[in-house]
Amino acid sequence: MNNERKDFDSFIFAQAMDEHLSSLRYASMIQRSLMPDTSFLSGILKDHFIFYLPKDYVSGDFYYAYQNSGYTIIAAGDCTGHGVPGALLSILGISFLNEILQIRDVPRANRILNIMREKVMGALDQRGQDYEQKDSIDIALCVYEPYRSVIQYAGANRPLIMVSDGELKEIRPDKMPIGIAPLEEVSFTNHRIEVKEGDRFYIFSDGYTDQFSEETNKKFKIKNFRELITYVSGWNMDRQKAHIESIFYDWKGSTVQVDDVLVMGFEI
Amino acid sequence: MRLRAFQIENFRSIVDTGMQTISPDNITCLIGQNESGKTSILEALAVFSSGVICEDVLRSDLSLPRVTCSFEIPENYLENKLRSVNDDFDKIVKSLNHITLIRSWKADLESQIGIGGELLEYIEKLDKDRSKELIDIKEKIKKFYSELNKKRGKKKSLTAELVDIKEKLDEHPARRSGLKLFRKRTAEVQDDNENTLSELNEAFEKARSEIDKINAFLIDKDSLIRLTEDWLETVGELDGINKKLDEISVRLEERHQTMTLLSGPTIADLSRGEWEKVLTQYKSAVKEKEELEKEHDMKILLCSFIYAGLDEEKARLKLQTIVNDRKLEYQAKELGEILLADCPHFEIFEDFGSLLPNRIDMEDLVSDNQNVEGYKAARNFLTLADLDYTFFQQPSSRILKQKIENLNAKLTLDFQDFWQQYVGKHNKIRINFELDHYSTNHGEKAGKPYLEFWVKDEGERLYPKQRSRGVRWFLSFYLELMAASRMERKQLILLVDEPGVSLHARAQEDVLKVFEDIKDDVQVIYTTHSPHLVDINKLHRVLAVQRDDVASHRSATVILDAARLGDASPDTLSPLQSIMGNPVGNQEFSVDKYNIIVNNVGTFYIMNAAMRLTGYKGRIHFIPSTDSSSIPLMCNILMGWGMKFAVLLFHNENEIEIARQLEKMMFTDQPGENENIIIMPEEFMNAEDLLSTLDFKNLILKTRQGITISNSEHVNINDLPRNFLLSKFLGDVKKGEITRDDLDEESKENLILLVNILQKFK
Repeated sequence: MNNERKDFDSFIFAQAMDEHLSSLRYASMIQRSLMPDTSFLSGILKDHFIFYLPKDYVSGDFYYAYQNSGYTIIAAGDCTGHGVPGALLSILGISFLNEILQIRDVPRANRILNIMREKVMGALDQRGQDYEQKDSIDIALCVYEPYRSVIQYAGANRPLIMVSDGELKEIRPDKMPIGIAPLEEVSFTNHRIEVKEGDRFYIFSDGYTDQFSEETNKKFKIKNFRELITYVSGWNMDRQKAHIESIFYDWKGSTVQVDDVLVMGFEI
Repeated sequence: MRLRAFQIENFRSIVDTGMQTISPDNITCLIGQNESGKTSILEALAVFSSGVICEDVLRSDLSLPRVTCSFEIPENYLENKLRSVNDDFDKIVKSLNHITLIRSWKADLESQIGIGGELLEYIEKLDKDRSKELIDIKEKIKKFYSELNKKRGKKKSLTAELVDIKEKLDEHPARRSGLKLFRKRTAEVQDDNENTLSELNEAFEKARSEIDKINAFLIDKDSLIRLTEDWLETVGELDGINKKLDEISVRLEERHQTMTLLSGPTIADLSRGEWEKVLTQYKSAVKEKEELEKEHDMKILLCSFIYAGLDEEKARLKLQTIVNDRKLEYQAKELGEILLADCPHFEIFEDFGSLLPNRIDMEDLVSDNQNVEGYKAARNFLTLADLDYTFFQQPSSRILKQKIENLNAKLTLDFQDFWQQYVGKHNKIRINFELDHYSTNHGEKAGKPYLEFWVKDEGERLYPKQRSRGVRWFLSFYLELMAASRMERKQLILLVDEPGVSLHARAQEDVLKVFEDIKDDVQVIYTTHSPHLVDINKLHRVLAVQRDDVASHRSATVILDAARLGDASPDTLSPLQSIMGNPVGNQEFSVDKYNIIVNNVGTFYIMNAAMRLTGYKGRIHFIPSTDSSSIPLMCNILMGWGMKFAVLLFHNENEIEIARQLEKMMFTDQPGENENIIIMPEEFMNAEDLLSTLDFKNLILKTRQGITISNSEHVNINDLPRNFLLSKFLGDVKKGEITRDDLDEESKENLILLVNILQKFK
């Protein structure tokens, strides 16, 4: 009798699990559909790669692209948490960016983040009180203006790495999230970078650099990541992606993936 | 009937106001500085009804006052009121929708009322035509009389000549027979004598013939001559009476000068009895002159008929016909008196002249004892309560008390509709009355009924006299005006000088409410300095009163209506400036700089903060309007003053509409091309949108709440105290607590944009 009960319970549990996983798979499909597909990105960028590896079915990381007649927006976001909570926040982030970018004029990268922050704080009703949820989004956002050969960059806790003529340069972000800041909110910084053909750019979440090594039990860290990028930056994007991916798996080994991973590289 | 316009001449500081139309909605407001003449206007209108003036109102040149009022009349009023005279007169009467009456004063300060306007023009034209005709006739008669005198003169000289000739004839030698015996005459001498005799005879005959002709003429024109001489006698009498009137007028003038203290006494001051005698002489001289003038005109007419060939009898018949016809005609004075009876009556509201008493005996009320204190107010009270004395004859005291209680509740509710203020935080005022009887301690009055009045609130029950001055004034005012609007008597035009000077701003607005309530029954004309007594949305009610030379108190009073407010001085318009959000003082309009009008005080604060933050030192001066709807009025006024100005508008529905109105007003053919109308770009719906959302939150709202809409929308939706917040922001900027470095790049860029826009105004 007990065994039958146990079997029955196992069966029910397995069924529930199946249903749950099925819905997560479906949610993942929905989430992926909100992000730009490869053909769209190929249409707006000279070359690109996206290494996107959610920890669970759905991800707190997201990537975003938009093009208007005068500019192109590329962004990589990392929402607090992973899995379902992170995914829900990522949906919010994507929809806010869609709202903000309904303008004709070339926007400022920092103003986009300023407005996005107001929206997130408004949506999560964040007013700086102790009892509030402190969820937020970290994001690196670029606005490429082809007619001026300029990229504007603004970052909320996520940097931009640029490689030009083989030389790597990291543009540091503002140390505040898209959400309630620890002390006070100030305007994000707008970086204007003159660019030329062949320059390559990398935006990424902290999932790659925070991954623990199976061998050493240490994090990959940004220093290693910069070296990796310097090493691969001269290759074509597909090869870069393959190598970056390979290095990740090698590093991780059989350890648990600690966070959602997103690395996006593009060439203008 | 309704007063539509007035004109005042030669009354105190007023030389001639010109015809001034009052507000069509029955409430007219006179604004202006002290000594501008506002009260004089009210006093002049009051004496239009009373007719009584004293020397104090005379100007220094002693010119006599004249007050003209024009009234709207109901349809067919004149046709029903006046008899038919002739086609021309009847045509004018039918065409009129208003009448004009003129109250004028003579040298003895007695007044008379007469018709004005089209009817006076008709009468004067008629008189003028008749006078002209009479002048022509007079010329002819005078010519005739001159001829007559010549003839008389000639007759006299001919008569003398005839006598002379006769004498000569009698003495002639040819006529003397005794001479033939003693002297022998030569043939020549004899011939000469005979010739001379014949000449003399001829001359004699000639002279006699001419005299006969003249005599025949005199006989033929006997009537005309007699009547002409009669007329001339009347002319002499008229000259005499005019001379007498001139002498008396000089004495009257001297008296006026003495009484107005404009010069020292030039003659020994007359005793009252002597002065009365002078006045009587003046009046009787005026009357005598009027009668003589009529007589004069009739006599000259009679002469003209006879001159034209009629015999005297027929001429007199014809004259009588004319006299009878003219009796049907109206004279200006007669018309004035007939129509004045139906005109509204001007009454000045006496501030504290009708205060509600604490108590009044029923006996005084019943017997209409107007001398008892508070009688008028008590009567007003009972009028408002729709009570007469029979009410108090209710046999059952229980029922009577219940009725009084019900009435008190109703009276209080009605009063509270107008008196909005509270005593303390929550207590509203209640007005009550009670009927009681004197106790045995009151001697003769014991047992007699009286009414007692109370002004209560939740905390206290006080007599009217124990209440504040403001409450007492308002109560007196409320009772007077409401009772006036209810009384079935001659329609009233109420004149109120500076209503509610002792009232709080809120109560002054309550005064306006009372005016609004009664305006269908009672026209109101009032003076004020207070912006709370001027409805900014009804500037058609405003007449600005000032001196034509604002620097001189000797200059004359002028009145400017709403269309000409731009010609008024800033001081005259100070109540309006306060309402428009531009208080007198350091926010005055600038003559040196460009005046930039902005939509309201909040925007004014931000603009000034922006100028400080950017360090812009351009020659501009911001002027706040009360709200965007007042902007066209301010533009009107500044245009009238010839000042440089522009209007800064933001991109919202109201201000876009204002921009359209202004473009029409400033006569621009091409919309959007008027350089003095600046419309900020689309992203700036109001001034606070010049700041980034972050700066708006950090520097003004001092909040961290996420704002996903524009700053101005956030203010509106959350009903934030915009002006207060922005004034604090300006304060922080002035203190240096907020500097340019505190602004983010977006705010800085927006302020630079603003400065670039304003730079063209130099």
